[in-house]
Parts: sequence; structure tokens; C-alpha cells
Amino acid sequence: MSFRILFSSLRRHSLMPLLVLLQVMLACAILCNVLFLTWQQLEPMLAPSGVDGDDLILVDRLNPPERAWTAAEVQAGTAALQAVPGVRAVSAALGLPMVASYVNMRAYRGPTGAVVGVNDYEGYDLLDTLGLELVGGRNFLPAEYRDMGSDQGKGVPEPVIITQSLARQWFGDASPLGRTLRFPGVEKGPGSVVVGVVRHLLRNRMNVATNGRADNTVLLPERVAKTWWLFYAVRVDPSMRMAALRGVRKAIQRQFGALLPAGSKPRAEFYATRRAAVFKSQRAALWLFAGVALTVVVVTVIGIMGLTGFWVQKRTRQIGVRRALGARKADILRYFLAENALIVGIGVVLGMGLAYLGNAWLMHVYELQRLPWRFLPCGALLMLLLGQLAVLSPALRAARVPPVVATRAA
Amino acid sequence: MFRYSFELAALGLRRFPKSTVLVVLTVALGLAACMTTLTLLHVLSADPLPGRSQDLYLAWVDTVLAKPSNAGADVMALNGWKTTNYHNIKLGDAQALLTARRAARQTVVADMEADEVADDGRRAQNQQVVLATTSDFIPMFGVILRHGRDWTPAEDAARTPVAVIDTGLAQKLFGTANAVGRSVRLKHTLFRVVGVIEPFAPQPRFYALGTGAYSSDGGENLYLPYTAALDAGLSPYDADGCDASYKSSNTSDFDPARCASLGLWVQLDAPAQVSAYRRFLQDYVERQKALAGFDKKPRSALTGVADWLKQNDVVPDSARLNVWLAGSFLLLCMLNVAGLLSARFLRRSGEVGMRRALGAPRRAVFLQHVLESGLACLAGGVLALPLTLLGLWILRQQGNDFAGLAHLDPAMFATLFMLALAVGALVGLLPAWRVSVVEPGLQVKSE
Repeated sequence: MSFRILFSSLRRHSLMPLLVLLQVMLACAILCNVLFLTWQQLEPMLAPSGVDGDDLILVDRLNPPERAWTAAEVQAGTAALQAVPGVRAVSAALGLPMVASYVNMRAYRGPTGAVVGVNDYEGYDLLDTLGLELVGGRNFLPAEYRDMGSDQGKGVPEPVIITQSLARQWFGDASPLGRTLRFPGVEKGPGSVVVGVVRHLLRNRMNVATNGRADNTVLLPERVAKTWWLFYAVRVDPSMRMAALRGVRKAIQRQFGALLPAGSKPRAEFYATRRAAVFKSQRAALWLFAGVALTVVVVTVIGIMGLTGFWVQKRTRQIGVRRALGARKADILRYFLAENALIVGIGVVLGMGLAYLGNAWLMHVYELQRLPWRFLPCGALLMLLLGQLAVLSPALRAARVPPVVATRAA
Repeated sequence: MFRYSFELAALGLRRFPKSTVLVVLTVALGLAACMTTLTLLHVLSADPLPGRSQDLYLAWVDTVLAKPSNAGADVMALNGWKTTNYHNIKLGDAQALLTARRAARQTVVADMEADEVADDGRRAQNQQVVLATTSDFIPMFGVILRHGRDWTPAEDAARTPVAVIDTGLAQKLFGTANAVGRSVRLKHTLFRVVGVIEPFAPQPRFYALGTGAYSSDGGENLYLPYTAALDAGLSPYDADGCDASYKSSNTSDFDPARCASLGLWVQLDAPAQVSAYRRFLQDYVERQKALAGFDKKPRSALTGVADWLKQNDVVPDSARLNVWLAGSFLLLCMLNVAGLLSARFLRRSGEVGMRRALGAPRRAVFLQHVLESGLACLAGGVLALPLTLLGLWILRQQGNDFAGLAHLDPAMFATLFMLALAVGALVGLLPAWRVSVVEPGLQVKSE
């Protein structure tokens, strides 16, 4: 069957195909943008955290009394937690994954000039306590740790452990080990030196954990000393998880309870619990967007089905004639599928353009990220499939039209 | 003729109930999506203090003794954190500008965090936000007193520990709304309650954005003279910047004498007063000799409430984005319905041709079909109301700080009604025109 027949038939009855085309165009544009928004919510949730979270307890909300916690109190807290049966490792820390109440921010410049904003986690031996997987280099040496806020290590490059993703962003395929990083705008001084690379480490500022920035996190060799903020990461024995959690809560209460200001309740929870809480709003948004996408899809499918159904009905006699002239059922079916593919095809091409323009305009007006091009074919393909699905039942009905219809007056 | 057309339209709706239901549902979905997002935007961008906000201005002079630096801001921007400047000023400037009394009314505001303990020590509210301000705040912002009085300028000057609390806090701490005469302990100072007010929670909380623009559960519940608050050892929650000489021991503890942490609001009733005050501020900052050597241009600003909210992007972009998304979805629904209606109307071509042949004017056919689509869309509008309420309920479950405000009000209800009518008329035009141009003779022949 030639495309000429298809086209001429479309030209003669232009209202119905035009309405389908407009619908597809708009639906495609909306769908591309909604898919993108959905992905932005999904991306931090899907990003590997790098943390061995099953047996990890995080402690936060240790509000200080009207003065800072002293280094001795921090130390005593660590010791008390270590003494809890079932506890394997304890790190006092500043900045922990899934603890959004305290976020350390830095930026480093690599040798090529690439500046990347990172979150950093600080604390003694966090690498082991968090259960991170080292893929290159080494952990910090005990001698490399510095007391937070002190002058220790001044003039010596600060060792730093980075993630694989950061290594790629700063050093490409070259080995990052032993290379220097600097703060942007700071040319002189010892800078920082990369001593280790971990596979993954999810940052704790979630709303920028998108577009490949989820792993922009570094570990620093800082020992928590005098501090207004205090967190603990506690690794426990898998066989004693619940007992250890109870023990940790008791130890925290015993150690800090008397000093905490009235009404503050320290929190000790498993990593998975914290993760669920952190992603709560993301999950809610995800359901919302999924609902929107589904509604758009359903409305479009119904629209295409209704229009094509009517159109098939209108052309019953024409189909009968074609059947009488020797067209097989499959030919009729194929004709309607092809016709739909053509209309929807033009619709999605226009729709992709509209999605792109719409996004560009929204980006201009609001703080919105650019719609990555890969969402355009995704939306387009989805629309094409939906179009074929929607036309299937009317097309099958058309294929069932008996040739004898041709002899009847419509 | 109208009545006849109307009857025909109603009859037409009943003839293909399945497609009528589809049309009504689609219209309802589109309208509900649009109304849900519009309602949220409407709530978020509403005037926080109708009738007063146009006379209120935030005055700012930049007297922080530090060289301007962007290093910190850049790091924050790289990590997706917006740096803000809430136009706070230092204590010395606040006092100087307050005593100058160049405006009809003037007050300073600063949010502070404190545990509120009842005088008998039996009940307490921990980690609450209190507003340190002056006696002008209550008349200036139109706060409604329920019991007792507001404090006086003399009590401000004498640094008297007095407080005004809202009925919610009075109930929680003292078990009664009339708590005048009781006291609340903040840190180690007892503040005597002189007045009880209706809960005051304009949305957005434009006067102190540092602790969040929207708060579903209110914000401050206790108001006290800032002089007495500082005496009691409370300190501002938030600051824009501190003198270079100031070394903070704690990231959330600011010395107001050396950190810009107080917001100065003035009431100016006429444009002439506004320009005069603007000049006064600029003169004030240009007279500051201490600023020499910090590479700073003398900067001041006087910002009205509406501009202030705009300048700080208080209405989240996502709310506007959602309106655009929902708007395009409504358009999609309208196209869809136009298609469904076209199919439905053209199915009756034969019948219409017959009517035309029997002498019905084109106008009558057109009217009948526009009415039919209008009726369907009106039904959709009615169904959209419960769907919008459902949509708003879903929004409230989203758990961000402003979603809790999403409720339908009469204005938005009227908008919904108008929107449904407009959609109904628009969507019916094309199909009704298409069916009204059906040729009488031809149809009779071919069908």
C-alpha cells in the first residue's frame, strides 16, 4: 500500500487526524517533562550509597548544653558506645550520610581546572565504620588525623579520600592517587592530596544528588574535638542488631542525658530507618508525578481510541469496498496501524520540539534544569506505543468488516 | 428557540451515556489538576497582611565591618545552596534608626529560640521560636489583642521583662486563654505576661524569612521587647554577616552588636515619606566612618512587602511550574474532549442533515451543540470540586513546609466555576461549528 493513499485520505478528512495529532503533540511534551521531573526525584533514591547500611546505627540530635561539647565528652561518648555489647566500631562524626541536619560543604579544583562542589564527612575511621569499599589507595593513617579546629597539620597537604565519580571528574582516566586538589581561588599553600578512592559515597544534601552529582563526597581526616554539633556512627554485630540498638540508646542516655538541654531527645536509629525518613518527601512527590503521568497516558489513549473508533465507523463502507476488491483482513489492520503511526509520528516529532522549547522557556523563567535530550526519544517511543495500543481495538473492528458491506447503502 | 435547543442538548447528552461519562470525567480531571495547582499558588502568593502590607517597608543599611567576599557563596552555590541576604542590620544601627523616629511607626524584629517554661514550672514548651521586637510591632502589624495590653515604649526603654503570648501558648502553658499576670521563664529570666493575642501567623511570614517563609503550624507564639530578650541571654537565630573581628564560637549563636541580625520594619503612609526615608537611610550609611577601608560602597535599601517577597523568591518555583504542567494538561483534556464531541456530533450528521433540510437554521444547530458541550463541561466542573479537594489533600500529604496551607477558599471556588464555563464554551465551538456546516441535501441522500 502506498503512502499516497494514506496521505490523501488524511487530507480529505483533516479534522480527526488533526485533533489526534495535536493531542499527541501536547501529551508527548507533557510526558517528556514529567518523566524528567520523576527521574529527578528517583535519581537520589536509586544512587548507591556506598555505605554498608544493614548493621549501621546513626546517632543524632545530641544538642549541646549552653556550651560546646568538649573533646573529652566526645571521647567518653565514643568509649561508652564501644563498650556496648554487640558494637564493633564507633566513630564520632560531623556530617553523616542520611543525616541532613548538618551538612559540610566544600569545593575543590582539580588539575584541569574543573571545580566541583562536594559534601564532606569528618570523623575518626569513618571509612571502616560506614563500611565503605576502597577501590584504590588506602585509608587514612592514624597519624594523619587532626583535631577539628586545631592547627595540627598546618603546612602539610591535607589527605583526602574521594569517590570514583569525583576521581573521573577531576582526573579523567589517570590515577588520582597522590594528586593535588585545591580550593578554588587559592593558588598557593599545600592543598589537599588524594590518598584513597572509594567506590560510592552518597552525599547528604539530597536535592543536588542528581545529574551525576550524588557521589560528590569526600572523607577528611578530622577527629571530632570541641564541637557544637555531634553525631555518632556505630557499626554493630549482625547477630545482635536489636540488642545493640537498645544498648546504644541506653549508653547515649547514660553518657549525655544529664547534660542535654530540657526537651531534646537524642535519636539512635538504623541506617535503613533514616533512609526511609529522608526519602519520604521524595517518595510522595514520586507518587504524585507517577499519577500525573498515568493520567496523561490514560486521557490520551482514550482520546485516540474515541477518535479512531469514530473514524473507522465512518469509513465502514470504504473498508467494505476494499475488502470486496481483495484486501485481506491483515491489510486493513495494517492500514489503520500505519495510519495511526503516521499521525502519531508527526505528533511526537512536533511534541519533542514543544517539550524542548517548553523546557527552555521554563528554564529561562524558573530555576529548572535542562531537559536532557534522552528523555525526548523516551517520551516519543512511549507515545508511539500508546498510539498503536489505542488504535488496536478500532483497527481490529475495522478488519472484521465483511466485504458484503460494500453492496449495502451505508 | 433557546429552550428547544436546551432540551435537544439535554436529550443529546443522554443518548450516548458512555461517551458523555468520558467527556465529563476528562473535563473534571483537567479542571481538578488545574485548580489544585492554582489553589496552592494562590495561597502561597497571597498578600500576607491585606490592608497593611502596602505601607510596610524593610529598611536596610550595610554596615558590617568586613570585606565583601564571594568565596563562601560560591561554595554554597556549587552545592546547590542559595545564599540569602535577609537585609538584617546590627544592633547599634537599629537603635539609632529607631530613635530617629523618621517613620510613622518603626520596629525591629528578630527570631530567637528558647524553651518556654510556665512560672509554676509544671508545663514547658521546648525549642520554640519567639519574636524579639518593640512595642510598635503589635499596632503596626495589626495583631489582635484578646486580653490585657501590649507593652509600652517606656517598658522597651526600661528593658522590662514583659511578654505578649498567643492564646495557643496560653492554653498550653497555663490551661487558660487569659494568662495575663502569669509569667513565662525564658532561660533564667521570668517574663510577665501583659497581654494575650490571637495567634498571629501571616503567610508567608514576610517579616522574618530567616526561619522559613511558610510554616503550617504558625511560627512564633511569644513576643517580647528585644532589649529584655538580649538581657536574658537570648540571641538571634539567624544573621546575614558579621564583622570581620567577630569570631563565632557557635554557628547558630550571633552577637547582634557585631552581626547583622535584626530586621528593621517601618510604616510609611505616603510616597513622599518613602523617598524621604530612602534618602535618610543612604545619608545614614554614608556617614558611617568606620566603614572606610573595607572596600564597600555605602549601600542601603528600603523594600516594600510585595517587592521583598519577590526579591527573595518566596513563592517556590515548583508551585509555578506545577501550574504550567497542569495548564498544559487541561489543554490536553480540552483537545481530547473536542475530539470526543466532534465524533459524537458528526455521528448524528444524518439527523442534523434532516433537521437542516426541514428548515432548521445553522444557528439553531450550532446553539444546540454548544449547549450540549457546555452542559457536559458544567457537569465536569461539578465533579471537579471533589477531585480538587482530593488533589489538595494529596498535596497536603507531601510533607513540605508550605503544602499544609493548601485549602480551597471561596475565590478559588468561583475561579473553578468560571474556568469550567470557559472550557465548556471553548471546547464546544469547533465541534459545533463542524456539525453546523453539514449540508442538508447531501446528508439526506447519502445516509
